[in-house]
Amino acid sequence: MDPSTTGIQEPFDLIRLSLSERVFVKLRGDRELTGILHAYDGHMNLILSDVEETIMMVDPVDENFEGQGTVKVAKRKMEMLFVRGDGVILVSPPSRT
Amino acid sequence: MDESTPPPPDHNSSPPPPPPVTVSGSPTDFLKGVVGKRVIVRLTSGVDYRGILSCLDGYMNIALEQTEEHVNGFTTNRYGDAFIRGNNVLYISAAEPI
Amino acid sequence: MLIFSVFKTLTDQRVTVELKNDLSISGVLKSVDQFLNIRLDSIKVLDETRHPHMMAVKNCFIRGSVVRYVQLPAEHVDTQLLEDATRREAANQTRR
Repeated sequence: MDPSTTGIQEPFDLIRLSLSERVFVKLRGDRELTGILHAYDGHMNLILSDVEETIMMVDPVDENFEGQGTVKVAKRKMEMLFVRGDGVILVSPPSRT
Repeated sequence: MDESTPPPPDHNSSPPPPPPVTVSGSPTDFLKGVVGKRVIVRLTSGVDYRGILSCLDGYMNIALEQTEEHVNGFTTNRYGDAFIRGNNVLYISAAEPI
Repeated sequence: MLIFSVFKTLTDQRVTVELKNDLSISGVLKSVDQFLNIRLDSIKVLDETRHPHMMAVKNCFIRGSVVRYVQLPAEHVDTQLLEDATRREAANQTRR
């Protein structure tokens, strides 16, 4: 196996290289987080600091408007957060696009 | 319902489609073949991720590069790298010849 | 194991557990096990008007699988220690 990237041989390497960096986390239930990653394990349990959570809610008033109803977002901040791994869908390191 | 005996296999159904000529055999062979290639990862939620498959593990945890998130036809996000937790994966599809 | 250890170091601290049904309970962390089941004392439900049946409850046991988040007291978390321990555990996992 010869991955084109710098030393990533298994998916968890991507997470390991993001320790102490700000990551984006997509969770079940239309929630997203950004925070600085301090710990993770094989279940994708995470510990993040300086967290901002975004919760997306579809406004029921506009819901009949062909799927693309107006999306209300709620945001909140948390200083130090444990995230249970079973809710994690995707983790993305800081944008080096 | 009109036939009480079960039909013999392959009798009244069309034969299964032949496997893609480029791939030999097992799912593992397929997965080995698509590493480093463009793929589409569909999650059980219906969301698609298109990107280059960096690697994956036995839980189907996936690392993608140059990832685009597609929700019913619209590109909703772009990520340089993305880790997808395996339990969310419905399928991985090759988006280029392998 | 790593996260379990982290929670053990936080026993007797006040934490806020947010469940997958959106119920948030703050309380003093009395114990935790390998499944991350949690025992809380002196609990307070954040939105009591929405969950009036919880008002009389003083302590509880929370099954780990129903937890979404736990808000931790940042001053009792050594982030450098966490990162080192995480790297160490990751190295052990891959070496198997």
